[in-house]
Amino acid sequence: MNAGVPWEEVESLYYKALELPVQERIALLASAGPALRQEVESLLEADASIELLNAPPIHLAADFLNAQPGALLAGDRVANYQIESLISIGGMGEVYLARDPARKLVALKVLRRHLSANVQAADRFETEARAASALRHPNIVTVYEFGKSGAGLFIAMEWLDGPTFRTVMEAGEVDITDALEWAAQAAAGLSAAHAGGILHRDIKPENIMLCKDGAVKILDFGLARHGKPLGPDPNSMGASGTISGSLSGTLLYMPPEILRGEAATVSSDVFSLGAFLYELFTGRHPFAGATPLDVLEALESRHVTSAASIRSAVPPEVDQMILRMLDREPDARPSAQEAWQVLRKRKNPAGP
Amino acid sequence: MDPPKSAVTSLLAAWSKGDPAALDELMPLVYSELHRIARRLWNKHQQGNTLQPTALINEAYLKLAHAENTTFQDRCHFFAVASTAMRQVLVNHAKSRLSAKRGGGNADVPLDELQRAADQEATDIVSLNQALEALETLDPRKSKIVEMRYFGGLSIEETAEALGVSIATVNREWRLARSWLIREMRGESS
Repeated sequence: MNAGVPWEEVESLYYKALELPVQERIALLASAGPALRQEVESLLEADASIELLNAPPIHLAADFLNAQPGALLAGDRVANYQIESLISIGGMGEVYLARDPARKLVALKVLRRHLSANVQAADRFETEARAASALRHPNIVTVYEFGKSGAGLFIAMEWLDGPTFRTVMEAGEVDITDALEWAAQAAAGLSAAHAGGILHRDIKPENIMLCKDGAVKILDFGLARHGKPLGPDPNSMGASGTISGSLSGTLLYMPPEILRGEAATVSSDVFSLGAFLYELFTGRHPFAGATPLDVLEALESRHVTSAASIRSAVPPEVDQMILRMLDREPDARPSAQEAWQVLRKRKNPAGP
Repeated sequence: MDPPKSAVTSLLAAWSKGDPAALDELMPLVYSELHRIARRLWNKHQQGNTLQPTALINEAYLKLAHAENTTFQDRCHFFAVASTAMRQVLVNHAKSRLSAKRGGGNADVPLDELQRAADQEATDIVSLNQALEALETLDPRKSKIVEMRYFGGLSIEETAEALGVSIATVNREWRLARSWLIREMRGESS
């Protein structure tokens, strides 16, 4: 673009030239000053490709309609937060990367409006917000705000960057020093939740994250309860009540007393954490089975091989502690704090 | 006394009388209605949807303005506003789509033809939007014509009515605007 040429002159010459046959067009342009001429010639040249903008972007419009039903877009606002991008879509809603008014990154969990009307879903969403916001600990995801907006219910949480332990363990054998460090942090987080009177009730590798800075964080307090023992909860058997593929994932971390229909206690969380730690240290799940029924049987009655017999580098006191965490008798299990102390000492053997 | 008009119709009237604040009030209504319609349409026909932006805008208008008795002129004014909202919707969607691609994670997913076309349009739209912003400072009316024709999918006649100019003017300015934008987009990529 030549800034020296008045736009009105460019326009007028361009329109005149377009109306003329080629021969006369050349003559007309030749009579113009060099800057104006160059400007108009380059526009006429681009005119040949003009069909590029003829059709509206219907594929993109269709994609907008198809791909992200109801999803918020970059620039949309939810209360005081501005959406940057969509991170994941789940049955319970979407998780977005967003910015708060101070431009700080947050993870924004939004319960879709049509699910906000579903009492059970809204209740679970609120439970998560209240449970996690009651806790402040470096190994528990921090909740900043819970509220309602035009888009639905939302929870603004600390933005965490990193894989979950499901992904970490799938990537291959975990170094023993790393495993001790991460196990200690996970136990510290659970211990803090219990100290704050919160049961998590859904401890599994999918709900524990390894951040890029090395911090381990417990997430997803959607099934959490305040610590007083409650009666059997039908939800603990999965929303549909059937043993499906996705439930069997959760099933692997479900303590025997819950399977028997008893109330969840802090010891139930300890069992689930123990199953995760076993897997973290050995790469094998203590109750793995080909079918959900096999898993159920294993949880009820299979003898658990010690972690050290699978991987000799597992320190003996850690090995013992994991076995105790997996005891079928809830009262025989250590507390999360006790587990944390064992792991912490082992992590820094020379330390205090 | 006049019968109560819909909020949208009054806002449109205020805006066409030159009240810029009316547009600020109108835009979020239009924008969220477009979102809402898109969401509902998605539930209706999940597959192979090639709905035109115009269809979305028309439906948004019928909803927002309760438009049985409104004139062609009213509707055209609405289209001018809706095209701006549509531009925002599509540009934001294009950006989200492209940043999701960069983020990786779901690589190796085979793309069908529609996906590939949408990818191409997403890339084009982001650079077109940039060029359009430049045209806006040079010649706002031409940029508006492009917005209505390209993003809104409106006809030459509808565009002329909404802008209060002749069909001949829209025709020639639409042509110059496209040439200018294409040149601008080439310059940017070379």
